Amino acid sequence: MQVTLKIFRYNPETDKSFHYETYTLEAEETDRILDLLEKVKGYNDGTLSFRRSCAHGVCGSDAMRINGRNMLACKALVRDVGDKITVEPLLGLKVVKDLIVDMEPFFDNYKKILPYFINDSPLPADGKERLQSPEERARFDETTKCILCAACTTSCPSFWASDQYYGPAALVTAHRFIFDSRDEAAAERLHIIAETDGLARCHTAYNCTLACPREIHITKAIGELKLATITGKI
Amino acid sequence: MSLKRNVSLATGLRYKGQGPYLTFILHRIGGLGMGIFVAVHILASFVGGSVGGFLNAIYTNWAFQIFIFFCALFHAINGLRITISDLFPKLIEYQREAIWVEWAVFLPIFGIAVFVIVRSALGG
Repeated sequence: MQVTLKIFRYNPETDKSFHYETYTLEAEETDRILDLLEKVKGYNDGTLSFRRSCAHGVCGSDAMRINGRNMLACKALVRDVGDKITVEPLLGLKVVKDLIVDMEPFFDNYKKILPYFINDSPLPADGKERLQSPEERARFDETTKCILCAACTTSCPSFWASDQYYGPAALVTAHRFIFDSRDEAAAERLHIIAETDGLARCHTAYNCTLACPREIHITKAIGELKLATITGKI
Repeated sequence: MSLKRNVSLATGLRYKGQGPYLTFILHRIGGLGMGIFVAVHILASFVGGSVGGFLNAIYTNWAFQIFIFFCALFHAINGLRITISDLFPKLIEYQREAIWVEWAVFLPIFGIAVFVIVRSALGG
């Protein structure tokens, strides 16, 4: 089949503003959007810039807006998006070149919620593992799946309005550690996310959940955090 | 050099977020509509005279009444759904169904109100 691929282009060295370029390509229904971008870069225009790494939906490098919605280019198939495809960079982050955005504000927000395991207690008597029951592990299982692709955060209207908002990805990671029975910094993290730029800016638009390529129920996780900050119960 | 991060209203509205995003947008429009209504009401009482009369004519107009009823009713029902979701996060998994219920409650009430407003506007 023939597909029309319209790509957002911006070269900071030559362009004052962005423009779109359209390519007509032969493609299979089962081709991924990433395959089409590779084809354009390989055969039409070598200057086309985009991030990619594993190409299997695990590294989270190639999140972008495809036909107006955030997706991973390596997971979106031609048959799912149709034969007229528009590819644009993520919203709410500065565009560095073509489909590449500046991820610094995203990671700055991520760091604010202390995204690492904190436990200063001595190790158990055997000096090995801090044990956890299957039920305790299941409590935060879903939020361990985040790959930090930023598809959720950049689909959020609150983040579009202010990049000071921690964003869904940071809150998902906060959920992952707050509900981990082995972690000891839950109170500190709850205090951090209760700040003005934290949970209060989530207005349940639900875009994050629909954009997540890992199918994490982000709005639910944020809802659980909201309840935990109100009740103090984890 | 890089392009600024600003997301315009038009760009934001074009994001394909499906049903929940539509309710998010309508919720904001509802809030804004009620804000405008209250502002016009206060202004009309404050300035009085022919300007006040003109402002009164705006918010007593039947088309504006339909708009303001839409704003108030949708904002209320959607707000109730969000409050329930916040209090019972497990229910967020049934967001899609909750939005169908929301429309099922909203549309008949709004329909009856539109019927009554239009009928009285036509002098019935």
